[in-house]
Amino acid sequence: MENEYRIVAENLNLVYRIRRAKKDPNPRSLHALKDISLNVRSGEFLTVVGPSGCGKSTFLYILAGLIKKTSGNVRINGQEIKGPALDRGIVMQAYALFPWRTVLKNVEFGLEVKKLPKRERKSIAREFIELVGLSDFADRYPYELSGGMKQRIAIARALAYNPDVLLMDEPFAAVDEQTRGSLQAETLRIWEKTNKTIIFVTHSIEEAVYLSDRIVVMTSGPGKIRGIVDVALPRPRDEAIKNTKEFASYRNKVWTLLQTPCERTEKVERIFDYTELVSRPQDNAI
Amino acid sequence: MSQGDKKENLVGRFFEISIILIVIIIAWLFIPLKAQNMFVPSLFTILGAFKELTLNGELWIDIVTSLKLSFLGLLISTVAGIALGLLLGWFVKLERYLDTVLQIMRNTPVLSVLPIFVIALGIGDMSKIAIIVWATFFPILLNTIQGVKNVDSTLIRAAESMGIARVGLFLKVVLPASSPFIIAGFRLSAGVSLLVIVAAEMLGANHGLGFMIFNYQHSYQIPKMYVGIITLAVIGVLLNLLIVKLEAKLTRWQEKANAN
Repeated sequence: MENEYRIVAENLNLVYRIRRAKKDPNPRSLHALKDISLNVRSGEFLTVVGPSGCGKSTFLYILAGLIKKTSGNVRINGQEIKGPALDRGIVMQAYALFPWRTVLKNVEFGLEVKKLPKRERKSIAREFIELVGLSDFADRYPYELSGGMKQRIAIARALAYNPDVLLMDEPFAAVDEQTRGSLQAETLRIWEKTNKTIIFVTHSIEEAVYLSDRIVVMTSGPGKIRGIVDVALPRPRDEAIKNTKEFASYRNKVWTLLQTPCERTEKVERIFDYTELVSRPQDNAI
Repeated sequence: MSQGDKKENLVGRFFEISIILIVIIIAWLFIPLKAQNMFVPSLFTILGAFKELTLNGELWIDIVTSLKLSFLGLLISTVAGIALGLLLGWFVKLERYLDTVLQIMRNTPVLSVLPIFVIALGIGDMSKIAIIVWATFFPILLNTIQGVKNVDSTLIRAAESMGIARVGLFLKVVLPASSPFIIAGFRLSAGVSLLVIVAAEMLGANHGLGFMIFNYQHSYQIPKMYVGIITLAVIGVLLNLLIVKLEAKLTRWQEKANAN
């Protein structure tokens, strides 16, 4: 049964302990993620939207193996996630290209970690640089590229070592509107071509609707899943779809989910005393 | 300044950078001939002494002696400074423990500790290498620590997300990311290595440029003393040029702040 799922998260919790002084007798705890349960299908394009501080990026970094969870289970291909590995690729908002490496060498990085022979590394790297349409820039350094180009290379780098899952953390938040549009189209094209499972974190509802099969809506204080929206828009999609009535109705649906105040926690948050709130975790129980 | 302007002004640039030097050389050639000041002999006289010291091979031996010792010392402290710097920059707690002692050692005037090395190692090559290592180690070490602390954490995350091992992370990410700092420290140390070898040779040696200058000063052979000083000036300038070139090559990937 689990086989059709690439990633399974069960009752995932992340609690930070905050000590105000070195020997604080009762450290406060901040519930960054609370009881997250989610199954991600193989080959699915899943986006996670939510306000800043809702833990959506944190969730992604737990999947990447870069942040340790407090409790619960997360599995990829049936295996518990214990740390980072080449079965997951990550694309970050800040590109994180190695500035001392040329484009080609950047894309080769994961392949070096994988200990592939040099010739093979080069040819695979070139293939993925071509996939993102930047073959002419293979020998350039990152500082010579625009933001959009850098992000394409970051995508190529994450894809080159052939991970099962691509994790994207607000990848297009730092580029201008026009570039953003073309990067979205490019991402869809690459996703359709490579059949990767993509988990994409964004704060843009429009971006989420445009790209995804499903949208996970998260709310903050503590970070939890408010609802999941199935997006049944036809594929392949292009920019024009953003003007349809269906698109607008999905957008509204997500918007409404984000807005609904339904729990006490939400009310307390409005008096802006977040720390008071999380210091009494029992209040957050439904 | 744009590319085109640069080419047009090449002759003008050469004039700008060399005119004062040319004036000084001409003045140095001729004014002492008239003034008859024994402390500043004419460049003609100094060139004569230079010819003598070159032909009898003495100058060459002194140059090799000095450079050999300072390069060896610099090499040792570069390797050790980078290695320890990577460690201390990474394990911040370790650095906090060591910082006080490191600061004391770094801020103690270098030559004041030379007698310790001389007593322990004699006045031969060993004590000179030791004092050079001592003097050049700290700039490289402290810069490397600074460099490691300044490594962009997203780059480390990116590398870690690909499951890189610790050693690989150091060699492929931390070291190249901190290289601009390391090179800056190396540049500082290279200059210091010359300074220190000259001083150490003045205080006790049989060969070397520092010894030579000191020796000819004592025996009042002023033109020969100037040969040593000018040779050191030339070596200093060449060394700096070499390091600037090396720096440009190693940090080609950095966005130049002044590039248009």
